Amino acid sequence: MSKDLSKVRNIGISAHIDSGKTTLTERILYYTKRIHAIHEVRGKDGVGAKMDSMELEKERGITIQSAATYCSWKDIDINIIDTPGHVDFTVEVERALRVLDGAVLVLCSVGGVQSQSITVNRQMTRYNVPRIAFINKCDRTGANPEKVTRQLRDKLELNAHLLQMPIGLESELNGVVDLITMKAVYFDGASGENIRIEEIPAAMLDEAQKRHDALLEEVSMFSEDLMEALLEEGAVDPQLVYDAVRKGTLSLEFTPVLVGSAYKNKGVQSLLDAVRDFLPCPTDVVNMALDLNNAEKEFPVSNNPDDPLVMLAFKLEDGRYGQLTYVRSYQGKLAKGDTIFNRRTGKKVKVGRLCRMHSNEMEEIDACGSGDIVALFGVDCASGDTFTSEDISCSMTSMHIPEPVISLAVIPTDNKAQINMSKALNRFTKEDPTFKTFVDHETGETIISGMGELHLEVYIERMKREYGAVVTVGAPQVAYRETIGQRADFNYTHKKQTGGSGQYGRVAGYLEPMEEGEYEFVDKIVGGVIPREYISSCDKGFQKSLEKGSLCGAPITGVRCVINDGAFHAVDSSDIAFQLASIGAFKEGYLKAKPVIMEPIMKVAVEGPSEFQGSVMGSINQRRGMIIGTTEEGNYSVVEAEVPLSEMFGYSTTLRSLTQGKAEFTMEFATFKPVPKGVSEELIKKYQDERKNG
Amino acid sequence: MENDSIVNNPLRALGLEGKAGGAGQSMMGLVMARAGLGKTAILVQLALDCMLLGNKVLHVAIGEGVDKTRAWYDDILSLLTDGEKIESIPEVMKNRMIMTFKESSFSKAKLEERLDDLVKQNIYKPECLIVDGYDFENNDQKSLEELRDFMVQCGLKMIWFSAVSHRGDKRVSADGVPAPCHEVDSLFDTVLLINPEGDNINLNIVKCKNCSVDPGTILMLDPSTSLIKQC
Repeated sequence: MSKDLSKVRNIGISAHIDSGKTTLTERILYYTKRIHAIHEVRGKDGVGAKMDSMELEKERGITIQSAATYCSWKDIDINIIDTPGHVDFTVEVERALRVLDGAVLVLCSVGGVQSQSITVNRQMTRYNVPRIAFINKCDRTGANPEKVTRQLRDKLELNAHLLQMPIGLESELNGVVDLITMKAVYFDGASGENIRIEEIPAAMLDEAQKRHDALLEEVSMFSEDLMEALLEEGAVDPQLVYDAVRKGTLSLEFTPVLVGSAYKNKGVQSLLDAVRDFLPCPTDVVNMALDLNNAEKEFPVSNNPDDPLVMLAFKLEDGRYGQLTYVRSYQGKLAKGDTIFNRRTGKKVKVGRLCRMHSNEMEEIDACGSGDIVALFGVDCASGDTFTSEDISCSMTSMHIPEPVISLAVIPTDNKAQINMSKALNRFTKEDPTFKTFVDHETGETIISGMGELHLEVYIERMKREYGAVVTVGAPQVAYRETIGQRADFNYTHKKQTGGSGQYGRVAGYLEPMEEGEYEFVDKIVGGVIPREYISSCDKGFQKSLEKGSLCGAPITGVRCVINDGAFHAVDSSDIAFQLASIGAFKEGYLKAKPVIMEPIMKVAVEGPSEFQGSVMGSINQRRGMIIGTTEEGNYSVVEAEVPLSEMFGYSTTLRSLTQGKAEFTMEFATFKPVPKGVSEELIKKYQDERKNG
Repeated sequence: MENDSIVNNPLRALGLEGKAGGAGQSMMGLVMARAGLGKTAILVQLALDCMLLGNKVLHVAIGEGVDKTRAWYDDILSLLTDGEKIESIPEVMKNRMIMTFKESSFSKAKLEERLDDLVKQNIYKPECLIVDGYDFENNDQKSLEELRDFMVQCGLKMIWFSAVSHRGDKRVSADGVPAPCHEVDSLFDTVLLINPEGDNINLNIVKCKNCSVDPGTILMLDPSTSLIKQC
């Protein structure tokens, strides 16, 4: 049966690349006895760490990066939910953030708040995720937790305060001073597993006392009891401070900051304590669902096990027994054998097996309650689907999925790879709604499309690693769109008489631009000038026309097709005749409707030393980018710009050479915008040449 | 999107539209108020006016972030245009660039360097400059003069500063410009002072060299939006 939810923490660990997330996760699993020896991450650079984590998974047969890694610390159960770091995976990031209740933001004590931290923090703020910060790598030369804490305040606008002081820094790092209990904590033993609590070293006592007082004063605003205790000027019960910090953290008005070095086994257990003490349990958090009967209007889910069931499938995994679907429950109860509804497909699903992930095995359970994270067996669904009981119709995620912005052709090297590739693509499209695949009928090539270069690279790598499908990859192509600029009328008659029964259909009406949405068909036919049975044929014809625009062969979006007149023939009219008439009508109207090519525009943030700001702005300008703003802090600056995706290929190399490798950039999809005339002409010419040359 | 869509634009109210519209000498203006009375809102309205007249605006925000500054533009424009966001008006967007500095990072030399970067590489050539958050208390007349000379050299048509006045500081210049700008008021062609009076918030035109309105004129601001009311 469901457990005491106050003892559950569903958390995510987020970090900028190379802040030590892998090492920290490894230590957490070790101290919580999930694994029995510490395996070092060898590579010091970002690539090395990433590779190591994958090797590690293989070697250990555990999935550090899996959907929900479960561990226990003291009296609480912690589900560590994987939060994909890169912004390319927008939908996945957002889905992960919906599922977790709190987060640990890992920062490097030297690098501080970096671009990825800013992005992740922004997303967490958007989803009201309470967080604690862990300043890792305090053993590194140049470690400065004070500076990083200031950056948390200035750059991320968090009310961040250190709860600890490092005892020594860089190679001298020995332990931490707990500013709440006012004790020194040392981590002894080969792997730091033995915690030794001592008095604060005399040399640090004055400073520690000063900070202790300042901390108490700061958090007293969250607790009247603490405020009163402070006024009485006696010793303050640490529990009052814990409560105040927790309250501040949950209200997102306070961010506790802890320090340590996962690599040197310092401070990780204190971090786990902080997860227990300060991060929310499932019932502390308000989660919103969308009412499908009321135009996706938001409403809070109740967390009440007696209410109708609402749960979100947030990750799929291939297991020995078929598809394993990780779900997070938000209200209601689910028991083995229950029938639930997939609100995306409308299908009924019977829950056969239900389990909770444990150390190295799964524990079969009979039922689960709200706030739980469990896995379902053999349920056919996609990631992001919402399951509910019959009596409620809601969804935890919007049905709106952003359109992919980049595509590339994948060609399997042999027959075996072809089969494996199909399996892999089938799975990936289920997991990630922003990843799409189709076969280009003209070239016969399989095309994959997604939200960015890296997004697709990751899937190609996964195809190779997980499915043994080796593929050659074509050059990335920008996913252009076509749309219309103005209303235009059409009146087209399709007539064909070549012996036998003929084809006849006339369709009249107009096309007009739509601000939101991709396509709408409006039937304004009166008096039966087009018979009812052929109305859907017209719709089909228009939809076919939208597949490939005549300017550059890109799909057409943002068009409303309205039909208001037409004619039919008692014998020669048919489904196909009206489809062809509509295709002809669309062609006629489209060219008059000032069609334009739209291109994906990315929001780009380049972060680096100020001395390179001029060159960075220049490089963005050369790429048809529009600089929105620049931020300068000390010797660091950030340039924010909107740049067409087509101009961003190879930017990382350019940026590296411009800035001696000292700047980096992040990129996420912003919007579609019309391409300038010159580019449009080029694209049209290229498309026409391609068609000519077959 | 035309400038006419903004009925009570401050440049028109002051009769300064010609300054932003045509060529000619640079004009330097100052918006003063106590903290929290809406200096940025007035600066943003002035900037929007310049943008809608086709001028490129560089908004320098000292001590504010890019997002917050953008939000000001979005809010003011959506008030003026009934919910439309500036992002949806691409031609207007092209006329705005925001440059933000931490207080400690801002210096005349830095700003000059950045402006040079923009102009020399032909990335962006501003015609109007907004400087929000300049520290008048710790910068003397000489450094402000040098800054102005540099901006004039850059060919800027309009430069607007904001300054915080303090209730307790009663010093004023002969023209009625309060501290901390009372000693540098000769550098400014136009000085506007936001002044609360009962339930109203007024925009006092303390000094106005090229305006069509006389010094001493009072415009009314909507207290909830800081927009200039019909006058």
